Amino acid sequence: MTKEQLQTAITEKLGDKMTLLDTGRHDLMYEVKRENLLEVCKTLKDDESLAFDYYLNSHGVDTKEKFEVVYNLASIIHKTRIDFKVILPYDSAEIESVQTIWPGANWFEREMWELYGINVLNHDNLTRFLLADDWDKGFPMRKDWDAPGFIRMPEL
Amino acid sequence: MGIIKKLPVYAEKVPGGGIVTTSLEMVLNQARARSLWYLLFGTACCAIELMCTGASRYDFDRLGMIFRATPRQSDVILTAGTITTKMAPRLRRLYDQMSEPRYVIAMGGCTINGGPFYYDSYSVEKGIDHIIPVDIHIPGCPPRPESLLEGCLHLQEKIKKEKLSDWQEK
Repeated sequence: MTKEQLQTAITEKLGDKMTLLDTGRHDLMYEVKRENLLEVCKTLKDDESLAFDYYLNSHGVDTKEKFEVVYNLASIIHKTRIDFKVILPYDSAEIESVQTIWPGANWFEREMWELYGINVLNHDNLTRFLLADDWDKGFPMRKDWDAPGFIRMPEL
Repeated sequence: MGIIKKLPVYAEKVPGGGIVTTSLEMVLNQARARSLWYLLFGTACCAIELMCTGASRYDFDRLGMIFRATPRQSDVILTAGTITTKMAPRLRRLYDQMSEPRYVIAMGGCTINGGPFYYDSYSVEKGIDHIIPVDIHIPGCPPRPESLLEGCLHLQEKIKKEKLSDWQEK
C-alpha cells in the first residue's frame, strides 16, 4: 500500500477524527484529539484496510507550552507506517492508556509517566523502573526541570 | 636459584646453604602486585576496550591480572564505564564485599568526572570519587588498551611501595 492509498483510506475511515499535519518524507503525521484517542486506536488496529497491528514506539515531547504524545505504528500486512500525536495542555497532562489495544504500549507509557509526568489513566502497572529507587526530584525530561547537582550546558 | 640472580637487591643467599634471606614486606608486595585479580565492572563502552586488553593482542594475563565475576575473589575493582545514580549504591555494595587490601581503578572520563555526561545529565554520577576511594585514574573516552596497561603498572608500583605498618592501620 502506498502512502497516497493510506491517506485515502484514513480520510475515508477516520476523516473527522484525524487531522493531517504533515505528509513528511517518510510517514504521514496526524493529530488526534485526546477524547477520540481510544476510538481512533481501535479503528486503526481492527479495520482491515488499515490493520496497524504493530506498536513501534511512543514518546512524550515537551515544547514548553504544551505536551505532545507521539505514537508510531506500523502495519505488517500492508507494509505501511503512520505517526499521530495527541496534544495535551501543560496543566492537565493526562492521557488514556492504549495498552488494552496494543499490550506493547505498557512500558512506553510507564517511561512517559516517569520522565515527563504525563499521567496515564487506566494503566495496570504505573510504577517506576528507570530512575533510581529513591528518586524524589520530579520529572527530569521536562524543559523547566532543575535539581541540585544538575549542570546545564553553558551557552556558547 | 634463578630467582636470586634476578633479584640481587631484594634477596640474599647465605653462602654454603639453601637459605635465602629477604624481607616479608618485599615478598608479600611482589606476590600481591603480580596477581591482581580484578572484578569486572564494565557498564559502558570502556568495557569493550577492557575486553580488548584482556584478549590475546594485549594480553592482560601476563601482568597476572585475571578477571573474576565475584567481589569475594577480587583484589581490584576495574570500573569501566558510566556510573549512574541508580548504579552507585550497587557499586558501593560490591566494593564493600571485597576483602582488604582492595584497590580501585577508575577507567575513562565518566568515572573521573562524568565525562561526556557532565552537562545536561540528570542520571550520571559526576565521578566515582565520592562513592568509593579511587587509586588510579585513567583518562580517555575510552582509554586505549595501552593506557589501561600503564594504569595497571602504576597500581603495581603503588602496591610495591606499601609498608607492613600501613596494612595494620587499614
